[in-house]
Amino acid sequence: MNKYNPPRMNPSSLRSRFATRFLRSLSEINAQKPTASSSSPTEIFRRYRRIKVAADKSMAYSVRSRRTWSRAMLWKLRTRPCGRRSVKTSTIVRKTRHEKQNKNTTTATTTGEDGVVSGVEADELRELVPGGEAMDLYNLLDETAHYIKCLTTQVQVMKKIADFYSP
Amino acid sequence: MQPCSREMQAMNPLLNPAQQIPLQDLQSTAHQQIQNPHFDPTSSHDDFLEQMLSPLSSCSWSDLKSPWDPPKSDDTGPSNVGFHYDEILASKLRQHQINGGGVSSPATAAIKMMTQQQMLLPGRGVAAMPLSLGTSGGAAGSHHQNDIVDGSSFKSPNQQGGEGSMQSLYNGFSDGSLPGTNQTQHFHHPQAPNFGATAGTVMKQSQASGSTTPAQPKQRVRARRGQATDPHSIAERLRRERIAERMKALQELVPNANKTDKASMLDEIIDYVKFLQLQVKVLSMSRLGGAAAVAPLVADMPSEGGGDCANGGGSIQRNSNGNQTSADNDSVTVTEHQVAKLMEEDMGSAMQYLQGKGLCLMPISLATAISTATCHSRMNPNKGGPLLQSNGEGQGPSSPSMSVLSVQSATRANGGLDGSASVSKP
Repeated sequence: MNKYNPPRMNPSSLRSRFATRFLRSLSEINAQKPTASSSSPTEIFRRYRRIKVAADKSMAYSVRSRRTWSRAMLWKLRTRPCGRRSVKTSTIVRKTRHEKQNKNTTTATTTGEDGVVSGVEADELRELVPGGEAMDLYNLLDETAHYIKCLTTQVQVMKKIADFYSP
Repeated sequence: MQPCSREMQAMNPLLNPAQQIPLQDLQSTAHQQIQNPHFDPTSSHDDFLEQMLSPLSSCSWSDLKSPWDPPKSDDTGPSNVGFHYDEILASKLRQHQINGGGVSSPATAAIKMMTQQQMLLPGRGVAAMPLSLGTSGGAAGSHHQNDIVDGSSFKSPNQQGGEGSMQSLYNGFSDGSLPGTNQTQHFHHPQAPNFGATAGTVMKQSQASGSTTPAQPKQRVRARRGQATDPHSIAERLRRERIAERMKALQELVPNANKTDKASMLDEIIDYVKFLQLQVKVLSMSRLGGAAAVAPLVADMPSEGGGDCANGGGSIQRNSNGNQTSADNDSVTVTEHQVAKLMEEDMGSAMQYLQGKGLCLMPISLATAISTATCHSRMNPNKGGPLLQSNGEGQGPSSPSMSVLSVQSATRANGGLDGSASVSKP
C-alpha cells in the first residue's frame, strides 16, 4: 500500500489535530481487535461503538476545553465507562454555576416576540449539543455554531479516511 | 426650569422643591460657562446634588436634557450643569447604568448614553458632550460636534457589550451631523439607527411631558415598537440582536439556509446537527469493514486491515461490492438489520432533512461499488454527480428502513464523488 502523504495543511488546524488523533485511536482499536470475531452483530456493534467513541473523543480532545460542548463531551466520555453514575447532574450543576458567570440573565423561553426563539426548539437544540442543557440561548447558539463546524470537520476526515482505505 | 422640576417631582416628591432651586441657580449662574472653576455656586450644592442625583440620576439627566428642546434656546445652562456633575456623579451613574437603572424613566437610555460618554472621555472636554447632545445653539454645537465624533469613535475596553450599540447611537448622531441647529430636528429625522430613534423618542417624551403642567405626574407615552426606552426592553432588544447575529452566523454554516424566520431557521439547525451526528455514526459503522484505521502512523497495519475486510465485519463492504441481491446473504442481512436498527432512531429526521434537499446517504463502499458500474444501470446515471435521487426511483429496498442516500455536502466539500458516504442498500 502506497504511503499516504497528507496534504500540506496547517498542522495546528482543527482538522489536522482531529485527523491525527483519530487515526491513532483507530490504529489502537485495530490492534486490540481479535481477528475473527466480528461477524456477530454484537461484535459489530461493539466495534462501532468503540470507533464512534474514538471519533468523539478525538474531536473533543482536539478542541480541548475551550468550548463548553467539548468539556461536556469529555466529561461524558470519562464517566461513562465507569458506570452510570449520576455524575452528569453534578456536571450540569457545576456548569450552570460556571455559565452563570458569563451568560446573560435572560431565559430563552420567551415566545411571541419578533425574532425571539421559542423555547421548545431551543430545548431540542440543547439535547443535541452536548452540554447544552445549562446554557442560555445566546451561548447555546454560539456553541452550536462551533459544534457544527467540528462535526463537519469530523465527517470530512472520516469520509476521507474511509474513502481512502476502502478498496 | 419647570420641566426639570416636574421630572424631579415625578421621581421623588421629597426632593422636589429643593431640586428646583439649585438647578435654577445653577442654570442661571452657570449660564454660558463651561469652565468648572467658574462654576462656584455648584460647589455648595455638591452634596445636595449628590443626594438628589444618586437615586434620580436618570431623572435629573432627563431634566437637564429636556430644556434643550428647540423652544428653549437658553439651555446651555443645564448642559453646563450636566457636565459639571461628571466628576461627582460619574461613579454613581456608572453604577446605575450597570444596575440597569431601577428607574423606568423614559430618558434612561439617553442618560446611559451620556453616562457612557462621560466614562469614555473623562479628561476631555466632557462638557462638550451634553452640549452637543442636546444643544440647540449653533455655535457651541458645531464646536463640540467634533468631540462627540471623537467620543463615539473611542471605544472603552471595559464597557459592556451594550456599549457597541451606544457607540452606534453616537455614530448615528454624528452622522446625522448635528447640524448645530435644532437637536430635536435631528431626532425627528430617523437617520440615526434604532437607538437614535430611541433617544428621539426620549426627547419627544420629555418634551411632550414638559409641555404639560408641572403638577401632573410623568406621562408615559407608549413607545413605538422597537423604540422602547425602558432599560429592560433595551436589554431585551440588545439580547435579541445578539441572538440574531448568532443566527446569521449559523445560517452560513448550515446549508440551504434561506432564513425566513427564526423558528424555521432553528429547525434547520436542529435538523442539520442531527444529520451530522447521524453521519458520524454511519461513518463509524462503515469503517468496520476495515477501511479502518490503517493509520499512516503505523506502518505494519495494512495487511491486518486487509485481513479484516474479509471478515464478517466487512459484510457491508461485501454487500457493496457489487452484490445487489444482498438479501439472500444472511450475514449481510444481519448486518443490514443491525445498521438499520442503529440508524432507525435518527433516521426519521435525517431522512426528512435529506429528502427535503433531494439528498441521500450512501455507504462509502457502495460508492466504490457504484463507480464500478454495477449499479449504473439501476441508479441514476449521474453517479458522479453530487446528487443521488432518492430510493424510490430504482429498486424497492429489501430492507424497509434502508434507503439509498448520498450526501451532497460530502461531494461538495470534497469536490469529488468518491467522498460520498454511506449506507448501504442497493
